[in-house]
Amino acid sequence: MKILVCLKQVPHKDARLELAPDGKWIADANIKFEINDYDNYALEEALRIKDKDPATEVVVISIGPDRVQQSLRTALGMGADRAIQVWDDGLVGADSLAIAKSLAAVAKAEKVDLVLMGLMSDDTNFALTGPMLAALFGVPHATGIVSEKNEGGQIEVERELEGGALEVVRLPTPCLLTAQTGMNEVRYASLKGIMQAKKKPLDKKSLGDLGLSAAAVAPKVKIEKLYTPPRGKGAEILSGSKDEIAQKFLGKVKELGLL
Amino acid sequence: MAKTLIVGEIQKGALRESTLELVTLARKLGGDVVSLLIGSGVGGLAEDLAKKGGGKVLLADDPTLANYNLDGWERAIKKAIEAEKPELILISSTPIGWDVAGALAAALDCGIASEVIKIEPDGADLVFVRRMFNAKFDARLRVSGTPRIATVQPGANEAYTGSESGSVVKLDGVGGDARTKFVEIRVAPAGGHDLTKAEIIVSGGRGLQKPENFEAVLKPLVEALGAQMGASRPVVDAGWLPHEYQVGSSGQIVSPKLYVAVGISGAIQHLVGMKNSNFIIAINKDADAPIFEVADVGIVGDLFEIVPALAAAVKSAKGG
Repeated sequence: MKILVCLKQVPHKDARLELAPDGKWIADANIKFEINDYDNYALEEALRIKDKDPATEVVVISIGPDRVQQSLRTALGMGADRAIQVWDDGLVGADSLAIAKSLAAVAKAEKVDLVLMGLMSDDTNFALTGPMLAALFGVPHATGIVSEKNEGGQIEVERELEGGALEVVRLPTPCLLTAQTGMNEVRYASLKGIMQAKKKPLDKKSLGDLGLSAAAVAPKVKIEKLYTPPRGKGAEILSGSKDEIAQKFLGKVKELGLL
Repeated sequence: MAKTLIVGEIQKGALRESTLELVTLARKLGGDVVSLLIGSGVGGLAEDLAKKGGGKVLLADDPTLANYNLDGWERAIKKAIEAEKPELILISSTPIGWDVAGALAAALDCGIASEVIKIEPDGADLVFVRRMFNAKFDARLRVSGTPRIATVQPGANEAYTGSESGSVVKLDGVGGDARTKFVEIRVAPAGGHDLTKAEIIVSGGRGLQKPENFEAVLKPLVEALGAQMGASRPVVDAGWLPHEYQVGSSGQIVSPKLYVAVGISGAIQHLVGMKNSNFIIAINKDADAPIFEVADVGIVGDLFEIVPALAAAVKSAKGG
């Protein structure tokens, strides 16, 4: 089985995010990046399939400038076999569909049996790339899965619905699955793994290498403006020393008749 | 706006509230409103949607559509688009919307704005407003081409309550095979930790930094207040607390008399689960955290200093 795991590099959870001067994106020149959390669960699931069947090949892919190589190396350190970085000037300002078209070109060329990725990314929260990629790759998909297992040659997954309900569906391969957070316990790269990762292949591809033109990936969706949402009246903020705050807190609890 | 197609959803045998929210949004944009309802034996619900502002309701009714499946839904929506040629297609951002909308956009090679909260006319064009970066920022999106698709956050618009005249038209040829096979809906056994009846809930988030702090820092306040402990999704995902502690759209929906959110930034999925609490107090070190938008009272500061002080104050008030 050959698995393609799509990883997006996003600003680190603890990065202090500021708007870029043009007001269309965040100022991302000097912040730390990490693998999108949802994608980590997808990668872990792929590695678990490989743990059970060592003949499995896990290929990780990320679209982005050279900083994404660090995330790809991390994935290789965790156990992926090889990595592909896709970057091209034509992908600056790419929308979800452009990203999906690029990934689909690779999925087709690699003839993968399974594509795994996160349900959404922590930066844009679009939750679109997975189903788009599946449609372009011509395979069925299931989104927001919390488990997967091989069931008589098919893949049986549990999709998370609302309020704790799960939908169980079966898909033939090839197919695409997007992972919900918490679906497994994500491993860390071992020191040995990190050493080995340095020798694993990391190929860099342009749009031309994928057989795509810049026109084919021209974005249909553009961020016109990114801004701090206008705040409503918001909360009454309690101020003072921590003991003064505690007394005010106590006052509120008493007013509610809960003390 | 010339014509908007609403893709309706059925939940527990009734029209899903989010579908009626799409009606509000579509009618606000003006122009023709048409709807699509997909299911098996759901003609009555289609009539219902027509009366509730859905306009002309296309009914995709077939035994193979009894349960959601991607191929069946995509087929039905494509049929509706062919029949009505809408400029805008509205789908709710639900587990079904997530699954089908992106695939549909790719199949039609059209632009899509997902998880939208507002759509504002701007001259002849539309601006799609949505949250980004886990609600830290808002974005205004432009989407080119026709048709355009938007998926809309449930709860972001009021459900339409007007009574209108409409019609139901059955779509033909909507049944067929699906590559994905539905097996069953599994409902996780309810845990012993029922938060839905709690009077006071104190919930902890990632701001508590490690699992031991739920015991060491949060629990004294929980006990002093006689509260129940809750948690945000990242805490449960990390395995710090079991799923039965999770408050949010994929956990428990709660409405206690007092909800105290500690170190929780306020991701939408959490807010959905607790915003109907009678009174909300939030403690967070980031003054810009979205949780302060829904809170009645906020405390901006280091929870590791503040929470013990709160616990001590409550304890001494009760003891004295």
